Amino acid sequence: MARERYIKLLLVACASLSFLAILLIFIFIFKESMPAITKAGFGNLFLSTQWNPDQGHYGMLAFLNGTILTTLGGLIIGAPLGIGTAIFLDQMAPKKMGTLIRRGVELLAGIPSVVIGWFGLTILVPFVARLTNSSGYGIAAASIVLAVMVLPTITALTTETLRSLPPELREASLAMGATRWQSIRSVLLPAAREGILVAVILGMGRAMGETMAVQMVIGNSRQLTFSLTKGTGTLTSRMVTDMGEATGVFRSALFAQALVLLVLAMLLIIVIRVVTRKRKA
Amino acid sequence: MDARKRDRIATIVFWGIGLVTLGILAFIIIEIFGRGLITALSPSFFSGKPEAKQVGGGIGPMIVSSLYLAALSMLIALPVSIGAAIHMAEYAREGRFNNFIRFCLDSLATLPSIVFGIFGLTLFVITFRWSYCLLAGAFTLALLNLPILLRGAEESIKLVPQTYREASMSLGASRWTTIKRVVLPSAMPGIITGTVLPVGRIMGESAVVIFTTGLFIRTIPLSPFDPAAPLAGYIWYAQTEATVLDYRKIVNGGAAILLILVFLINFAARRFARFYAKRKQLEVKF
Amino acid sequence: MKRTRTLFDLRSSASRLKIIFPLVTLLVFSVGLAGCSLQRSGVIRVAGSTTVLPLAQEGADCFMDMRNGTNILVQGGGSSVGISQLKERIIDIAMSSRELTADENDGNIIDNRIALDVIALVVNPGLKIENLSKQEVKDILTGNIRNWSEVGGEDAAIVVVVRDSASGTRQMFDQIALDKEQTISSAIECNSNGIVRETVGSTPDSIGYVSLGYVNSLIRAISYDGVVPSEQSGKDGSYPLSRYLHMFTGLNPKQMAQDFIAYVLSPDFQSQVVAQDYIPISEN
Repeated sequence: MARERYIKLLLVACASLSFLAILLIFIFIFKESMPAITKAGFGNLFLSTQWNPDQGHYGMLAFLNGTILTTLGGLIIGAPLGIGTAIFLDQMAPKKMGTLIRRGVELLAGIPSVVIGWFGLTILVPFVARLTNSSGYGIAAASIVLAVMVLPTITALTTETLRSLPPELREASLAMGATRWQSIRSVLLPAAREGILVAVILGMGRAMGETMAVQMVIGNSRQLTFSLTKGTGTLTSRMVTDMGEATGVFRSALFAQALVLLVLAMLLIIVIRVVTRKRKA
Repeated sequence: MDARKRDRIATIVFWGIGLVTLGILAFIIIEIFGRGLITALSPSFFSGKPEAKQVGGGIGPMIVSSLYLAALSMLIALPVSIGAAIHMAEYAREGRFNNFIRFCLDSLATLPSIVFGIFGLTLFVITFRWSYCLLAGAFTLALLNLPILLRGAEESIKLVPQTYREASMSLGASRWTTIKRVVLPSAMPGIITGTVLPVGRIMGESAVVIFTTGLFIRTIPLSPFDPAAPLAGYIWYAQTEATVLDYRKIVNGGAAILLILVFLINFAARRFARFYAKRKQLEVKF
Repeated sequence: MKRTRTLFDLRSSASRLKIIFPLVTLLVFSVGLAGCSLQRSGVIRVAGSTTVLPLAQEGADCFMDMRNGTNILVQGGGSSVGISQLKERIIDIAMSSRELTADENDGNIIDNRIALDVIALVVNPGLKIENLSKQEVKDILTGNIRNWSEVGGEDAAIVVVVRDSASGTRQMFDQIALDKEQTISSAIECNSNGIVRETVGSTPDSIGYVSLGYVNSLIRAISYDGVVPSEQSGKDGSYPLSRYLHMFTGLNPKQMAQDFIAYVLSPDFQSQVVAQDYIPISEN
């Protein structure tokens, strides 16, 4: 049938378009970061903590550190909350409360990052400042903001996972006289382990790529620090702060930072693939 | 410690976590509404024009821009992603190539939105010479959402039980007819709810619109080639440049309106998905 | 009769893909490049520095009121973005808070200075500092002095707030006030005047710099080397921290763009600007 063939062609065209779009973006990032890699040098870019674009220093290590620490911070707060909430919703929440939390989490997912960043700036930063007698900007504030942003992702995905577990699992466990906690700990969680891991890793990806909210509370300074309350930067916050006005090698260095984020994301996805493949074996 | 005691402690812990989460949600939502609802609901605000220097500006054109942008972007993104998803799920041979595409899509999903913004600027605004306009933003946002939409659609299609397809084809229906009349309708509710997140993303994206659609436009956009200032971008601009004395009021009010819009869209999408499922007499889990 | 092979006969979708894909690519790019023409009559596009944006928007509003039927669209994006778009002839006027770099200055750009922006040093209102010498400012911002007690204040660690690296304000400041030395690495970088004001205003023991027009009750401006920052001292040169704001155009700008810039430079508009205490200007 001719019609069938035309439809197939149309679908292939859609797939081609998508593929083209993906390709273009990858090429774009590579192309834009090339000048920095060739002119500023690999060591200057990726292995140095000196960020001073005026004088040709484009070391991003301080910001890579910032990205890693804020992401970890966000996960340390957000993952237990998210997973715990999902278990709570699945196991013991009364129906109305459960719906309330579910809708609330969906709503939270839809709040723009500028708004969360705005509240971080106007509420969280002064709070941290008072608490720790510092400027309030830094990894602590950014971690809390990121935790709020990954909470919906982790909660939703963990809920999905728990929901997809066969109900016989719980019933069998309870039938054998186990308490609820024993069922959760020894049966549910191990079965859901892989889905939970995926949820956490995707939350990690989200945290790494978050732009606006982090930029508003992290302080945007160029020092490498492990302190929770000293201003520093992340790869994304640096891009937001400088991109509009940067030219030439400076701009290219910012794209090199995007490249690093892309590579990190790909590594995370590979980890997910490996984890989920093991299950299928 | 015996098992009962542990169970009790665990219950308390989980209840605690649930309450903490509820508390966080409540705190944020109450803060947003507490600070901005009054502003948001005043007609001079949500239908007024923005001011560059004086107080009392509104965000009317911004709201229209946001909705227009969302509609335009989904119009571009949905057909392409659903088409591509159908192709990948139904027609294409399950091979390394497909896996590679999925891998690239997943990796792109976490790329910071500002990179998409600059990409859109370079391709649509400059190379294609469209200048700042809604269309540039719509295409860029479609690109941004492509990974999520495509993977979501693919997953929804894959979830349709194979038995449906077999039954249809055994009745003599062709491949495409099966897809059109059996697989797609079954997958639709899932696809529709899968659009909620991307639409929310479009409404809340500021990094992209700064570089593609415009930042401070006082007129309501009519054609897709008109520049526009969607709400999220304007909120960012208002709080960054802070040129008007009441910028805090504008930001708070804008945040409240965005929250209301997102809530309405979530609600509408869910309703529509349920309606569609009922219409087609589908059996779907909600 | 031999049946001709058609596209549809390709078995695997992968090989179909290989043919369709380049066709789609070609189609997309040709459609895109044939895109909408920019030469719509009656529209001028202005883009660039977000520092100049409010000023340009104000000018545009007044100009459009005066001349019915004209449409001036003002955007942000940053000085660099504006200048590169001007070169691509996507926009008519590029707003900038800095001079052209050597790379950008290819002889095809006309420079119109539209205002003088005086930069004031500001501190958190909780501090009792009234004046800082050039050397003190330099030492504070580079980190040689880290405590307010060293310059006559109380015993408290100094929090330094600056603009982002590519900001025109920052470049001017680094050049004139810091003699191009490096800012302390713990300095908090902000994207705009507004954010600097916000940060300095809410962070105790902090010091930063903003355009004079941004000084309000949230922060306190101090004297630099004994000179009070003002429109007057900026104009007569006694206050060194100032820079020009620009509107760049191509070599042959549209008539309306020229008229607009002429209006912005006219005494009419310039006096309005001063009256609104936003960015003090000087006649050029």
